[in-house]
Amino acid sequence: MSTTKTSVKQQRAALRKAARNNKLLRSENRAAYILLIPSIIGLIFLTYVPLVEVLGLSLFDWRGVGTPNFVGLGNYIRLFTKDPYFVDSIKVTIFYSILAVFGSIIYSFIVALLLNRKIPARGFFRALFYLPYVLPAMAVYLGWNWLYETNYGLFNYLLSLIGVDKVMFIASKDMVVPSLALIAIWLSGNLIVIFLAGLQNVPRVYQEAAEIDGANAWNRFWNITVPCMTPIIFYNLIMSLVTNLQVVTPALALTNGGPGNSSRFISYVMYQYAFKDGKFSYACAISFVLFLLIAAFSSLLFLSSSSWVYSEGGND
Amino acid sequence: MKKSASIKSRKRQQRIADSSAFAVLILLALIAMLPIYWIFRSSLMTNNELFAWPPKLLPPNWLFSNYSAALEYFPFWKYLKNTMIIIVPSVLAGTITATMGGYAFARLRFAGKKFLFTLVIGSMFLPTMVTLIPLYIMWTNLFHLSDSFLPLILPYFCGGGAFNIFLVRQFVSTIPRELDEAAMIDGAGFFRILSSIIVPAIKSAMITVAMLLFVQMWNDLLQQMIYINSSEKFTIAIGLSQFKGSLKSDWSAIMCATCMSFVPGIIIYLIGQRYFVEGIVMTGMKN
Repeated sequence: MSTTKTSVKQQRAALRKAARNNKLLRSENRAAYILLIPSIIGLIFLTYVPLVEVLGLSLFDWRGVGTPNFVGLGNYIRLFTKDPYFVDSIKVTIFYSILAVFGSIIYSFIVALLLNRKIPARGFFRALFYLPYVLPAMAVYLGWNWLYETNYGLFNYLLSLIGVDKVMFIASKDMVVPSLALIAIWLSGNLIVIFLAGLQNVPRVYQEAAEIDGANAWNRFWNITVPCMTPIIFYNLIMSLVTNLQVVTPALALTNGGPGNSSRFISYVMYQYAFKDGKFSYACAISFVLFLLIAAFSSLLFLSSSSWVYSEGGND
Repeated sequence: MKKSASIKSRKRQQRIADSSAFAVLILLALIAMLPIYWIFRSSLMTNNELFAWPPKLLPPNWLFSNYSAALEYFPFWKYLKNTMIIIVPSVLAGTITATMGGYAFARLRFAGKKFLFTLVIGSMFLPTMVTLIPLYIMWTNLFHLSDSFLPLILPYFCGGGAFNIFLVRQFVSTIPRELDEAAMIDGAGFFRILSSIIVPAIKSAMITVAMLLFVQMWNDLLQQMIYINSSEKFTIAIGLSQFKGSLKSDWSAIMCATCMSFVPGIIIYLIGQRYFVEGIVMTGMKN
């Protein structure tokens, strides 16, 4: 008798608990959706719908007014066969990205390694290397334009001290992209901070064990630090690649794509067609090719990652 | 005996390594700061002094009067005001909506969570350059917002960007759940938990988000050029590009304008710096 009573009681309690849980779950659901309203609107209307629109518009001939005219792949065919700027802009953009990405990664990794040692005034040095990143891009390019000035600029003065002839940094076709990439490397303070965070998570035990076994600093670096850092290197590589393939500011701020077409990046070509000539749908085709290019490079990196990114006990 | 000697020599080696690494660091720091110094130094000189060979390392006379002269052609305060009209509401809204989203993804159970989160991460790899034209058409044709700050501000009311949502989520996940549960037993709802427990605990992440948004807008010359036409509404970035065009080789004045434009970013950075680094440290870990 008493046992059945308690079991009924227990059942009731369990039911009540389930109902309460259910209610909790429902209110949790509701709270989540309310909190996510802004993000969901952003994802739909500012991200994924525009992506579909870019593809859709690129199949038409439309210059901002009038009825769009369906042309199928016409814009793409024109881009790759007749356009005077586009194919070169892909080469220029990839060249710039390779220099800027690898340069920034190497520079910021070295700085992070140095900052990770026992040094006085660490916070001060960290802030110093990070500083260029918070300066407004337009001002940075204006300032560097003066440093790069051919006759009286700082860099040619420094070169003259070691007996090198004057270099036209911005005004020559061969030098303009490397010169702009150097600015990008200087601006890469955010990578330093991320590398530094990663370095602080390299387990000390490995280092100490290797040291006891008599491994020298060089071996410890290549066999412990670098493998432990590969996930961070991968993250920085991919983020830096996505950013640099979209490069447009140096051309807008400084070079206007010149001299000739030597700094006419993909995004700058797109900007000119859309906002100078009003050829919106044609520019959309460029946007979509840029999207595919970035997707292709990112997938290549992801595919290659299994062979060089070291992960400890899977992902979390 | 032999052992202690080897320890001693190793210690000496270590000291040599430490001090040479520090020397390299100082050298790199000097190189990294040289451009900023040179720009500042040039802003205090006359054009005649600038076009002299060899260049002087220090300005012969520190002409701070150059700045007041430059201000006559370069209305810095107006540009700064316009820039802040864009940046302040965007940074606030972006930080708040990113916190809301990040909290929901870190703590709450809801239908379609995985799918939505995948969409968020996916959009991190979707270049802003790709969506530029459709968004421009939307703002100008659909909402008739041309020559307006709104197309630059309103997007930040919509989540503050995937990366920032992700960053807040990472941060919230590190806070012990017991805190939420205790508050819930005391009868606090989810919004209450967010505002009185989570927000104080993730202050440094929120400051990081705010600073990242600040830098992002600060640097976004392209969109400012697209959406703003009239000189009354020019931002610092557009103002500088116009200024450069109008004064072809008045380098001294251009360097003054450049230096002035450096200052707000440096001030904001120095204020938020401590939190900022801590915030980045958190995100770096989980990737």
